[in-house]
Amino acid sequence: MGFMCFITSALSPVRSPEAHRIVGEAQGTTYAITYYAGQQLVSKMQIDSIFKSLDASLSIYQPGSLINRFNASQEGIEMDRHFARVIDKSKQIYYETAGLFDVTVYPLVRAWGFGAKAAGPMPDSAAIRELLRCVGSDKLQVRGTRLLKAIPCVQVDVNGIAQGYSVDVIAGFLEAHGIANYMVEVGGEIRTKGRKLPGNEPMKIGIETPSLTEFDAPVIREVISIGDGAVTTSGSYRKFRDSGGMRLSHIIDPKTGFPASREIISATVVAPEAITADGFDNALLAAGVDGAFEILRAHPEIEAYLIYKKPDGTVCDTASAGFGRFLGGQ
Amino acid sequence: MTPSLTTRRDFIATGLAAMAGAGFSTAFSPALGKAVAPVDKIRLGVIGTGSRGAGLATLIREMPDFELIACCDIISENLQKGMSLAAKNAKAYTDYRQLLDDKSIDAVVIATPLYLHYPMAIAALQAGKHIYLEKSMTYDIPQAIDLVKKVKASGLVFQIGYQYRYYGLYHRVKEIMKENWLGKITHFECQYNRNSNWRFPVKDPKMERAINWRMYREYCGGPLSELCAHEIDVVNYLTDSRPVKVVGLGGINYWKDGRDTYDNIRTVYDYPNGVKASVTSVLSNAYNGYSIRILGDKATVEVLRDKALIYPEITNNAKGVVDGVTGATIAVTTQGKGVEVKFGKPGEEQMEPTVFALKDFAECVRNKKEPVSNVETGRDGSIAIHMGNAAADTEKVQYWKPEYSV
Repeated sequence: MGFMCFITSALSPVRSPEAHRIVGEAQGTTYAITYYAGQQLVSKMQIDSIFKSLDASLSIYQPGSLINRFNASQEGIEMDRHFARVIDKSKQIYYETAGLFDVTVYPLVRAWGFGAKAAGPMPDSAAIRELLRCVGSDKLQVRGTRLLKAIPCVQVDVNGIAQGYSVDVIAGFLEAHGIANYMVEVGGEIRTKGRKLPGNEPMKIGIETPSLTEFDAPVIREVISIGDGAVTTSGSYRKFRDSGGMRLSHIIDPKTGFPASREIISATVVAPEAITADGFDNALLAAGVDGAFEILRAHPEIEAYLIYKKPDGTVCDTASAGFGRFLGGQ
Repeated sequence: MTPSLTTRRDFIATGLAAMAGAGFSTAFSPALGKAVAPVDKIRLGVIGTGSRGAGLATLIREMPDFELIACCDIISENLQKGMSLAAKNAKAYTDYRQLLDDKSIDAVVIATPLYLHYPMAIAALQAGKHIYLEKSMTYDIPQAIDLVKKVKASGLVFQIGYQYRYYGLYHRVKEIMKENWLGKITHFECQYNRNSNWRFPVKDPKMERAINWRMYREYCGGPLSELCAHEIDVVNYLTDSRPVKVVGLGGINYWKDGRDTYDNIRTVYDYPNGVKASVTSVLSNAYNGYSIRILGDKATVEVLRDKALIYPEITNNAKGVVDGVTGATIAVTTQGKGVEVKFGKPGEEQMEPTVFALKDFAECVRNKKEPVSNVETGRDGSIAIHMGNAAADTEKVQYWKPEYSV
């Protein structure tokens, strides 16, 4: 087999670049990687092993993961590389969004029935008030490579940022293997670099129209090209819980302890790295339209496109000033 | 507590005035139609206390709305079973006409073999009783058409025992169809299968036909009228329509035991706008015995006994135009795999659908309302069943005739 490969590559030393595609399932969703190169440079097995190491660190769905051990601990634990990076970025965005993005929201997420376990009855406001004691990323302390809790009930859920981080990790892996033109997509979070070869076309990314149900296949609302960068979307439309005719968002407002207002249905963020885009998209969703623009003004390195519901129920969209340059698939 | 006769009479008068206002004809001896004051229990007689009738009596016994004061059956074991579930001083009858003569009875449940439905329902109407008649409604098409006229003229409450019209599961399925979760719906695939001879044990050979009436065309329409009736009614309910035509094939190819009703029948009903519903009963295979699959271009819903699963279509229409799509994360479990359709309120007790149907019957009797499963929906079901059987018998397409729905 090795001999055959040697022969083949020896006979055609310079191949014109073509699309290589790796698709699979990870982190409870699907992923798709497309890279443009003259030959296969990475394998699905390698990609899957990266996801495995990410899950072992960051997945609340995996028993015994580092994050679950931290949540179960009284004082804290020793972090690995993935966990340390995600916590560092999460704390940064926590401060930059005045606490709208907060990974310590997990006790509330669980109470509202969006955790790893099946939903129980709806919590009452007394229960929420009690849980709010445990919430706030200022209750997380990093000492060297150790992550410490201020009080034992502090628990973290990095689902709002880990997918973006995973996209960055995969992108970094591709670049380390000499790949300069690629698109990495994990559950709707995307990072692109370079162009499609051999045609040298830009990579086109569709922004999905929020759908009525959690089953609808994506319908494209806008098409963008972002060059070298990342784009992620947070939506309150696909994951929700029905309660007395109301649809509760899975995005919990860490300030009030209650599901975030559903003014913004979908927030799409473009940033240099997916971890940044992914952290901010949740905060924008929770902030509402005015709050979102306030955050965007302070962060010229990110651009955003928002789909929101007016009080009369009509659906509109709006975007930051710099977002226009991505439109039209340039 | 015994309500005074005057109270009951006053209520009857008011009830009748309201009925007249609603356009009911009073030609059908309406003076016999009893109204029941909200505080009273509805005094009920059950005609036919075989497996289904006794099953109903078991549920009725637990319901505060009813008092079961009379049972009737020609088979003594059945009658005993019914009486064991009835009120203390309940009366036992072997002739349903005598039960109907009992003036203290407000309403009757009729759970007898299909061929008896029409004569018993007519007699009950004449006796001024409100009626809960088991499905399917009538033995043939002329009876169905005639019963609609007689019920309408009576002003009495008349409900057909299609309990799924009262079941939250089907309400939710109808809702998500309306919300376009399934996209354009083109087909229904219904099956009601069993792997058994569908017989009850018979001690005395003389009783064979009385007990195993489902085996004989003299008494019923076989699997289509006794099993698939529910599914035909469900399709009518979900589509708010009735079939235009039907083709079918049937046979007795497995249980060659002297029966003359089919042991397998497969029909295809054509509904308005080309929607097709295949309705099948096979008595030699029980995989997913009761199942209705609703096929849309966006998803499939499979309705089972007490749950429904939705299977989204995997569509990659979006790709092709673009190289990737950014959006809220799609859980991998919603792609190609079944996701359970949630229904009912959180924490709500799951009850036997028939309980909901009987509760509504009580509500209709008290407030003189027309049941959701009424004589017209019952007629549509029965005519569809007879068309299906006729299609299989004649091997010819059967059409819904305009005179069916006058």
